[in-house]
Amino acid sequence: MKTLLAEDDFASRKFMDKHLSQYGECDVTVDGEEAVGAYMMALEDGEPYDLICLDVMMPVLDGYQVLKAIRDIEAERKIPQDKRVKIIMTTALNEERNVKKAFELGCEAYSGKPIDVEKFEQVLKRLELI
Amino acid sequence: MAEEFNMDGMLDMFLYESGQLLENLEGIILEKQDADCFDEADINEIFRTMHTIKGSSGIMLYDNITKVSHKLEDVFYYLRESQPENVPHVELVQKVLAVSDFISGEMDKIREGDKADGDETEIVADLDEFLKRLKGEIKEQGIRLPKENKHKEPSQFYIAPVASEESHFYRIVIHYRNDTEMSNIRAYSATYALKDIAEDLLYTPEDIITNEESADVILAEGFYMLLQTKSDTDEIVGLINSVEAESIDIEEITAEQFGKGLAEISTDVSEPISIDLGGEEPKKEPDKEKEKEAVKPGDYVVKSKETGKGKTLAKNQPKKQSIISVNVEKMDALMDLIGEIVIAEAVVLQNPDLQVPGLDLTNFQKASAQLSKITTELQEVIMSMRMMPLTNVFQKMRRIVFDISKKLGKDVELEVIGESTEVDKNIIEHISDPLMHLVRNSMDHGIESDPADRTALGKPEKGKVTLEAKNEGGKVYISVRDDGKGLKKEKLYEKAKNNGLIGDKEITDFTDNEIYRFITLPGFSTKEEVTEYSGRGVGMDVVVKNIQSIGGRLEINSQEGHGSEMTLVIPLTLAIINGIVVQVGNSRFVLETASVKEFIRLTEDAIVQEPGGEEYIVLREQPYPFIRLGQKYQLSDSQVQVQDGIVVVLEHEGEQVCLLIDKLIQEQEIVVKPIPSYVKKVKGISGCTQLGDGSIALILDIAGLIQDEERS
Amino acid sequence: MADIKKEELLAEDTQKGQFMTFQTGKEFFGISISYINEIIMMQPITAVPEVEDYIKGLINLRGKIIPVIDVRARFKMDPIEYNDRTCIIVINVKSIVIGLIVEKIAEVDTIREEDIVPPPSLSRSSSEQNKYVYGLAKTEDTMKLLIDPEKLIKEEDMEDLEAMEELKSEEE
Repeated sequence: MKTLLAEDDFASRKFMDKHLSQYGECDVTVDGEEAVGAYMMALEDGEPYDLICLDVMMPVLDGYQVLKAIRDIEAERKIPQDKRVKIIMTTALNEERNVKKAFELGCEAYSGKPIDVEKFEQVLKRLELI
Repeated sequence: MAEEFNMDGMLDMFLYESGQLLENLEGIILEKQDADCFDEADINEIFRTMHTIKGSSGIMLYDNITKVSHKLEDVFYYLRESQPENVPHVELVQKVLAVSDFISGEMDKIREGDKADGDETEIVADLDEFLKRLKGEIKEQGIRLPKENKHKEPSQFYIAPVASEESHFYRIVIHYRNDTEMSNIRAYSATYALKDIAEDLLYTPEDIITNEESADVILAEGFYMLLQTKSDTDEIVGLINSVEAESIDIEEITAEQFGKGLAEISTDVSEPISIDLGGEEPKKEPDKEKEKEAVKPGDYVVKSKETGKGKTLAKNQPKKQSIISVNVEKMDALMDLIGEIVIAEAVVLQNPDLQVPGLDLTNFQKASAQLSKITTELQEVIMSMRMMPLTNVFQKMRRIVFDISKKLGKDVELEVIGESTEVDKNIIEHISDPLMHLVRNSMDHGIESDPADRTALGKPEKGKVTLEAKNEGGKVYISVRDDGKGLKKEKLYEKAKNNGLIGDKEITDFTDNEIYRFITLPGFSTKEEVTEYSGRGVGMDVVVKNIQSIGGRLEINSQEGHGSEMTLVIPLTLAIINGIVVQVGNSRFVLETASVKEFIRLTEDAIVQEPGGEEYIVLREQPYPFIRLGQKYQLSDSQVQVQDGIVVVLEHEGEQVCLLIDKLIQEQEIVVKPIPSYVKKVKGISGCTQLGDGSIALILDIAGLIQDEERS
Repeated sequence: MADIKKEELLAEDTQKGQFMTFQTGKEFFGISISYINEIIMMQPITAVPEVEDYIKGLINLRGKIIPVIDVRARFKMDPIEYNDRTCIIVINVKSIVIGLIVEKIAEVDTIREEDIVPPPSLSRSSSEQNKYVYGLAKTEDTMKLLIDPEKLIKEEDMEDLEAMEELKSEEE
């Protein structure tokens, strides 16, 4: 599994990186713009990510914007539904409104922080990533 | 309505919505429990309910809930599609209730922060078996089975954060010494230091990094932070540990206050300085805005980490909505404020400055009449907002009757009258348990176990419990009536006597009503064995205590062989009453206007003194107990002679008492406040209030006075 | 360096070790200032009938109604007349807000942990006030009795409970 982690908080980043690396390559970006860049690059290289974890509150572009951008790119490139990258939002903003919004924008999962690792893995299994 | 649950998280939303659905579900089930089958609308509704719960629990990753609701959905899918005949209705009802109980139980665990670890296999297997049986019958009838219920696996998931129930909320103010240079950078260091322990951190001024002028603001006003963390104050201070700080004030606040943000807590924060958003696209604004719609625009910045840039919140676009749900705490706060307004109004209108002779107050009077009108209306509006129908409480009772009748094997029908009667929310919370107790008692002790006992008395085999609510004269009457055995006076008397509750008075010394009241004495229970549903040590005395705590009372009526009736009489609202302020000595008391019958002036000859010292007044050939309030409460400087004071005749539940007071002050609206709990309860005093001049008056509890008098 | 240390102390220990001391009769008492909400002038008090005599009644603290108790009466000392130096210390113990009427406020004192010694053993002869005193502090030339407000309140609850029991048995 190839993962992209976009997270600007050092502590969270370190924790997630360590956790996700056990399933394969894990790239890390610290802001939203960079995340979109990394996604594009991987796509161009023909080695797209399987999973992207997006923090919501990030500098430059926030998680929602990144999520939307990626889904837009996929739509534009006519990538079929089942080939889309799986996206998990990770954030401390766990108000229902935020979650709904992220779901509408098309993420696969929304994880509140601090992250419940057990459930996180459960979701990765459901998404057939591990 | 649900969308407005602003400050609550996804989890709360799930619990709230599912809770509502389950409540609704139980409503349908219990309404139709005695019917022969569910109609199409019910089946659809139950199907939809289960479908929704299955979906949302799937997203929330509560697998056991998903599985159970999934199974029940299957059952109802089948019922909907093939409309089979001969469905065992009672069994189906029990199955639905079992599922509903299971889900409620799991939700309770989640609510408590525990794992939803209930084992669903039994219920699922049970439902499977049930569904198979249903289908088997159909097959026998040679009808084709409908298509299998297709399930779509949830494609989106919500991972709830690790429970962090021990979060504290703090308001931190750092003041720096006036000569501190670059206090903004120091402030930044402080926020940085807290980063590791902060779950959420808000601060103002918000542009400390980018705007050097913020340093001046910090020096002048101090640096305000709101911090959500698991750490304690010592650790926070340790982390901030700023050498230049003149003072660090840390105050623990509630989550509610935290949610309100800095602007509400610190009133003296300067206007936020507008920020250069730099190269950020304007498109960003709406997103940010949605993240924190509930906060006032421009007050502070939400940042849990440093990005080097400040972000302001744009103005909210008010949403059009006809119904919103409001946090109860806010309602209570509003209620308190209105109470304060009523008091403030009295302070203004009764201001001693107005007592100057010869002052022309015509315009003032007009204006104050208008003000009074508005405050009265305001009270009415808030009261009406707080009113809730008893529907939910009664719903619970249906469930209890259903459960107990199954458990005890008693065939009992529940009749519900007036469930839309409305009562103040605070009161509803207090009557649910007493009512449950009364219903259990009726089911357990009231209704006969053997239907033959009933038919022998010419009653139908099926027992009947009636739950009735009505609103009459500012009071709400809720009665639980059964057509069972009724109370046996002799038995009650014997029991009370054996338990040493009544000394050795003869049964003839008591009226029927007094004998019935024995059951409300602590330590009284006529049933020898303790059953699961009633009489587990806590008895009617607890019911009475609960009801009295909200200013209500319990009335008992019974006819042996024909049943009993327990009626809770409770006030519509607790907060504001009409009262008459009177003076006794240097103290002021409030009498509830409704209980005042008349004021009279008498002379000492009107008083009859009994050998025991009790005094009576004979009015229109009726004796009334007489209390000299000043004497009773040992108030100095009060009128001792009857002719120097005024006698008030008070009535409560048909019983009268006369009070000697010094003089009348006036009638006004009284905002009832409880006597601080530290002071033990005084017989005859139910609360206190603040008068127009800021002084405190005690509110007399007529019922308590009468009781007290009867005892002596 | 010394400067820094002092600042740290100030910041960290704004409340620790600080005691509001007051005088009643010949004796000095101290209450940790972490319990203290504010100190107000003597107020008109509304007496509540039929309560313990040390509960002087209720006062109106900006719209909030709180009970006030007389510390001297609480310690079963002879009552004194209230005068213009009499104050009310408003304390908050586990969300119970109560006013303490004291003869005279002395000052805020810093008392070091090591200067606090436990009160002499609670023998039968020890006076009423010892029930509420958890330590003695020697400062300069005076001995201060440090009051534990939680005990002051708790004791109350116990008595309340007893009173309620009594009430119950009366009813029966």
